[in-house]
Amino acid sequence: MLEKILILLCLSSALAEQPCKPDASDGYKVRLSIKTALGDEAYVWNENEMFLFRATLAFAMRSHLNGQEFDVSNIIVCDETPRVTFWFVVTSPLNTSGLVDKGVVEEAIRMSRNRINSAFLLTDKTLEFIGITPTLTAPVNPDTPPWLIVFGVVMGAVGAGIIVVLVSPLVLKKRKKNEETDEDEEETGVKAVENGSTREGVYNMSFSDDERLTQM
Amino acid sequence: MDKGARPNWDNPMQFVLACVSYAVGLGNVWRFPYLCQLHGGGGFLIPYLIMLFLEGVPLFYLELAIGQKMSLGSIGAWTAISPYLGGVGLASVVTSLYLCLYYNIINAWSFWYLFHSFQSVLPWADCPINSNRTGPIEECERATPTQYFFYRETLDISSSIEVNGGIHTGQALCLVLAWLITYLFIVRGVKSTGKVVYFTATFPYVVLFIYLIRGMTLHGAINGVKYMFTPKMEQLANPTTWINAATQIFFSLGLGFGSLIAFASYNQYNNNFERQAIIVSLINSGTSIFASIVTFAIYGFKATVNYENCLERTRLLLLNAFSLAEDSITMDTVFDWIEKLNTTYPQQFAEIADKLENCDLESELDTAVEGTGLAFIVYSEAIMNMPLSQLWSVLYFIMLLLLGMGSMLGNVTAIVTPLRDFKITSRMSNELLNGLVCLFCLLLGLGFTTPSGNYWFTMFNDYGATFSLLFIVLIEVITVSYIYGIKRFEKDIEDMLGHRPNWYWKIMWSVTSPVLLIALFIFYIINYIKGGTPTYQAWNKELVKYPYKLQHSSGCFCLLSHHQ
Repeated sequence: MLEKILILLCLSSALAEQPCKPDASDGYKVRLSIKTALGDEAYVWNENEMFLFRATLAFAMRSHLNGQEFDVSNIIVCDETPRVTFWFVVTSPLNTSGLVDKGVVEEAIRMSRNRINSAFLLTDKTLEFIGITPTLTAPVNPDTPPWLIVFGVVMGAVGAGIIVVLVSPLVLKKRKKNEETDEDEEETGVKAVENGSTREGVYNMSFSDDERLTQM
Repeated sequence: MDKGARPNWDNPMQFVLACVSYAVGLGNVWRFPYLCQLHGGGGFLIPYLIMLFLEGVPLFYLELAIGQKMSLGSIGAWTAISPYLGGVGLASVVTSLYLCLYYNIINAWSFWYLFHSFQSVLPWADCPINSNRTGPIEECERATPTQYFFYRETLDISSSIEVNGGIHTGQALCLVLAWLITYLFIVRGVKSTGKVVYFTATFPYVVLFIYLIRGMTLHGAINGVKYMFTPKMEQLANPTTWINAATQIFFSLGLGFGSLIAFASYNQYNNNFERQAIIVSLINSGTSIFASIVTFAIYGFKATVNYENCLERTRLLLLNAFSLAEDSITMDTVFDWIEKLNTTYPQQFAEIADKLENCDLESELDTAVEGTGLAFIVYSEAIMNMPLSQLWSVLYFIMLLLLGMGSMLGNVTAIVTPLRDFKITSRMSNELLNGLVCLFCLLLGLGFTTPSGNYWFTMFNDYGATFSLLFIVLIEVITVSYIYGIKRFEKDIEDMLGHRPNWYWKIMWSVTSPVLLIALFIFYIINYIKGGTPTYQAWNKELVKYPYKLQHSSGCFCLLSHHQ
C-alpha cells in the first residue's frame, strides 16, 4: 500500500515537472536583448521582471481566448540563462495539467505583440519569440512616387529654359524690326522738319530790293 | 552680324574652363582610384606623372594647335593638312558619336539616383518587403540592398544580352531629361557652352572639397587613406602598371575625339594655348589625385563599417549559441572569445562553425572596384551609412552629373563642329542642327534602357572607343611630325604664339609619343588576340552575382569604329 502511494507521488511529481522543458512541443523559447535595446538605461533582469513577463503573457492569452481566466500561475517558465533566454509553456485554466496548443499561443502572442514589447520597452528584434516571425509593417506606397515629383520640377525648369533660349532671339528680331521701322519714320520726319526750318530762314536784308539809298 | 564669321569664346578663360570641364570627367573619379589601388597605391603616381609628361601634355598641345590654326572642326582641319587624311577626322566624329550614344546613359542613372535621394529613407538602404510581408525580397537578401537597387530597380537587368524586354520608363524619362539639358547647354554653340562651363567646371571641385572634409572626418577613413598611400614599390616592375598609366593619361585627357580640336577652333588666332595646354593637363591629373584621396577615405569608412557589422553579427551568434550574458563579449574581445569557446566547447562550436564569418579589415579594403560599380554601388553604400545621408547623396549625384555633362559638352561639340563646316549644314540654323544631333542620339540611346541595356553599355564602354582612339592619335602625331613636317608645324605655332616650341615638344612629337602609342597599340592587339572570344559577366537572379562568363562576338564592333 505504502509503495503504491509512493509510486503515485513520484509519478505525479514527475508529471508536474514535465510541462516545461527545453524543446517542449508546446513551448516557445524567448530571447531578450535588453542591453542592445536600451544601452545605459538597461534594467536588470530579475524575478520581478519575470513576474511581469508571465503576467503580460497571461494578459495576451486572456485577450485572445475570451472567457478563459488565465492567471500568472498558468504560465510556466524554465531553463533561464544569463543571456536572458528561457522557455515557457502555457497551461489551460480549465485543466491544469493540460497545455494550451502551440498554435493558439502563437496567435495570442501575435495579436498582443505590441503590448508585450512595450511592457518591456523592447522591439520585435530585441524581444524574440523563437519560431514566431513578426509581421512586418506594410510598405507605404504613395500615389505619386516622390522621384517623379522632383523629376517633374527639373523637367519643367529645363523645358522653360529651352523655350526661352529658342524664342528670345525671335522676340529680339521682332523688336529690332519694329525699332528700325520707327527710326525710318523719325528720320524722314526730322528731315522734313529740317527742310521746313531752312525755309523758315532769316530774311537777309542786305540783298533786299527795297533799298532806297542805292538809286542814283 | 557677319554670318560667315566664326563664333569665338568670349574670353580665354571660357576656353580653359571648357577644356577642364571636358577632360575632368567620370574617369577621374572612378578609374584612377581603382588603378591606384591595383598598382600599389602611392607608387602608381610615378609612372602616371612620367606618362603625363611624355605623352599627355605633348599630344594635348598638338590637338589644340591644330584646332586653333585651322579654325575648323576635325574633318576640315585634317583635310586641310592633307586631303587624304579627311578620314582621320571622320573617324574622330564616328567615335564621338559612339560615345555620345552611351555616355548619356550614365547621366540618366545619376538623375535617377538623384531624384530618388529625396526620400526620408534612401531606397537603397533597406530591402523592400516581399508580397507576403514575411521578410525582405529574396533576391535582395542574397545580394545587398545597394546592389539590388542598382541591378533590379534601376536597370531591371536581364540574365543575358540576348534576353530583352521593354524600355524601362523611368530610365527613358531620365535619358530624355539628360539629352534636353545637353541640348540646352549647346544650343547656341560656344555662346551658350561658354557660359555653362563656368559652372560645370568649378562646382564639382566645391563638392569634392566638401566631401574631402566629410570623408576625412568619417569613422575609419584613415584606414583607407593609409592603405592607398602605402606604396608597394614592387608594382613598378610590373609592365602592366606602366601600360595602365599610359592608357589612363591618354583616355583621361580625351584625346582623339576631336573635341579639343573643335574647342580650339573657336579660339582667337593668337591665343596662348601652350600655357593653357599645360595648365589643363595638370589640373586634370591633380583632380584625379584629389578625387582618389576622397575615394579612399570613403573606401576606408565603408570597409570599417562592414568589418564592424561583421564583428557584431559574430558576437550575436556567439552570445545566442552559448547563452552568455549580453555584455560578456564586446567587439574588441570577439576573437579572444572565439578561441576560448572553441577550446572549451568544441562540439557546440563545430555546430555553428559554418555560420561563422571571417571578419577581416584588409580583405574589405582589398575589394577594388571601378566604373559604374564604384560610383553607384560602393559610394551609395557608404553614403547611406553617413548621418544626414540624403544631403550627401544629393551633393554626390549632382557632382557626378556635372562631371558627366561637362564631358558630354565636349563630345557633342566634337560632332557638331565638323558638321557645320559642310556647306549643306552651314545653312541650317545652329539650333536646328544641334537639335537634330541630340534627337538622333536620344533615339538610339533608348536601346540602353532595355533590360539587356547594361550589357550593351559595357560592350560600348570597353570596345567602342579604345582601339580607334589609339589608332587615330597615332596617325595624328605621325602625320604632323612626318607628313606635314615638324618644320612647317613649328612655323605655324610661331605664327600664332610668337615663339617656336622648344626642343622638348619637338622630341616628344617626333619620337617619344609615337613610340609609346605604337607600344600601347601592339599591347592591346596582343591582349585582344590572347583573350579569345570576348566574354562578359552576367547577373544571375538566383545566384545574385556575376558568375557567368558568356561568349559574345564583338569583333565586328571594333572594326566599325575605325572603318574610314
